[in-house]
Amino acid sequence: MGEFLLLMVSAILVNNILLLRFLGNCPFLGVSRKMDTATGMGLAVIFVMTLAGMITWLVYRYLLVPLSLEYLRTIAFILVIATLVQFVEMVIQKAAPPLYEALGIYLPLITTNCAVLGVAIINVDERYDLITAIFFSFASACGFALALVLMAGLRERFALVAIPKAFEGTAIGLVTAGLIALAFSGFAGLV
Amino acid sequence: MAATLREEFTKGFWRTIPPFRLVLGLCPTLAVTTSGINGLGMGLATTFVLVFSNLFVSLLRRFIPTQVRIASFIVIIASFVVIVELVMQAYFYPLFKILGIFIPLIVVNCIILGRAEAFASKNGPVLSLADGLGIGLGFTLSLFVLGLIRELLGAGTLLEIPVMWASFAPFAFMLKPPGAFVALGILLAFMNLISQIQARKG
Amino acid sequence: MRDIIRMIVVLTLIGAASGLTLSVIHRVTAGPIEYQTIKFVKEPAVKKVLSGYDNDPILDREKITVGTDPRGNPIELTVFPAKKGGQTFAVAVEGTGKGFHGAIGVMVGISKEGVILDIGITSHSETPGIGSRVTGVEYTDRYKGLPAKKGVTVDAISGATYSSKGVVAAVNEAVSTVATFREEIF
Repeated sequence: MGEFLLLMVSAILVNNILLLRFLGNCPFLGVSRKMDTATGMGLAVIFVMTLAGMITWLVYRYLLVPLSLEYLRTIAFILVIATLVQFVEMVIQKAAPPLYEALGIYLPLITTNCAVLGVAIINVDERYDLITAIFFSFASACGFALALVLMAGLRERFALVAIPKAFEGTAIGLVTAGLIALAFSGFAGLV
Repeated sequence: MAATLREEFTKGFWRTIPPFRLVLGLCPTLAVTTSGINGLGMGLATTFVLVFSNLFVSLLRRFIPTQVRIASFIVIIASFVVIVELVMQAYFYPLFKILGIFIPLIVVNCIILGRAEAFASKNGPVLSLADGLGIGLGFTLSLFVLGLIRELLGAGTLLEIPVMWASFAPFAFMLKPPGAFVALGILLAFMNLISQIQARKG
Repeated sequence: MRDIIRMIVVLTLIGAASGLTLSVIHRVTAGPIEYQTIKFVKEPAVKKVLSGYDNDPILDREKITVGTDPRGNPIELTVFPAKKGGQTFAVAVEGTGKGFHGAIGVMVGISKEGVILDIGITSHSETPGIGSRVTGVEYTDRYKGLPAKKGVTVDAISGATYSSKGVVAAVNEAVSTVATFREEIF
């Protein structure tokens, strides 16, 4: 259990997937303007990334490795993720309409979220076992959601301050992300 | 024809230069630009994939039914990414190790899927080639410049040659992840400033 | 209906063309990739654990079959021989052991007389600053001069017990391979 706790702290704080590993930055800057969109996106990512981490691990271990097709993992993983996202969208739409209302519009965006593919690749690169892989995917996604929500909280306040014209929009978003990342690097000694 | 061709090629260098004007493809931009060479390598790998995916998407645009176009584009893009992965591993191993996970991640670089969907699926192969090459080289240029700036401030070197004065103390901050965000943000603000001044003059 | 057939046909064709191209490129690049991996990953470790040779251990590498996997394919192991005047006097062989986070690869130099010359870590994903201390010379030097017999033991680094155990397991794997295939190697 201690090992999993360490992995959790490491994935959420010390090696935060967004701020320190630079995966998933496009949605990070795109949907962090408002708190509710940020929470929606965060939850959708936690859901899809955990599932995708598990399925891509199984595909790699039981399909690609036995056939010695490891070199096709990029193409296989992206197809698995794209299909999974479509499937999840359909299932949620049928089974839980309120959830679909809340998360629906974020799901298509997740296909091209490089954090999902990135975590799938890290899982097999680091040769995690299935349980660790699922756990790592979940923890990374929580780290993603945490950073996204923190960022949205800050960006909502930008409306109240005077920002130099050249810095408006993405530029100030990037500088803010840098400051949050700096705060997160303070956790470096934890693990 | 020649005029539009030049237009499609050159727009990638300033008017729609990624990742500044097209805010797409930020992950590799932030992650691998710790030196000029790394930025250049990443940019060229992306350009290769972009040019060939644009070409093939454009050639096949009449055969691909609209319902499955995104899936087809992803297969085409992913194939070229795997080619880049294999070739770099075989002939540029040290760079392959440095760029690491960001090479397979070219497949989810929104610039490439974005160009396939917005341009190559609607235009002929020649224009699509020009568009891919222009946007790709613009992206390469951005990464190279950002890499040079971070390398200069963070290590005091340009392309691994020391150029700063002897007592220069490098800001290691620039090579760390937070430095990447701040450097890109300031560079973007600087470009906005130039555009604003241009707009005022015009 | 015609639309669906067309969709399936187009997707299949694209997939097939892509698969074909990739398998050709994979064949072509397989050789260079193997060479590059050996050159950049194994060569530093081989150079560390062997000394006093006048050949190129990377170029002279030999593959020996050490068993078969469940599907009946041979499992091959690469041996890097150190030669002087054409005589192999030591070899470098890689073994793997399970560390705290996944496998640890260790290159072990073993002399013909059955003594461990030195070890070098080729791959690991241990925690930086804790488990990764096994890669330091203070630790790897503890193996120098031990007899290359089954059951090699070395004191673990305090705080990095799992990583140390992984290295010991890897060294033992390499040592027992060399003992088993002694005839073929020397």
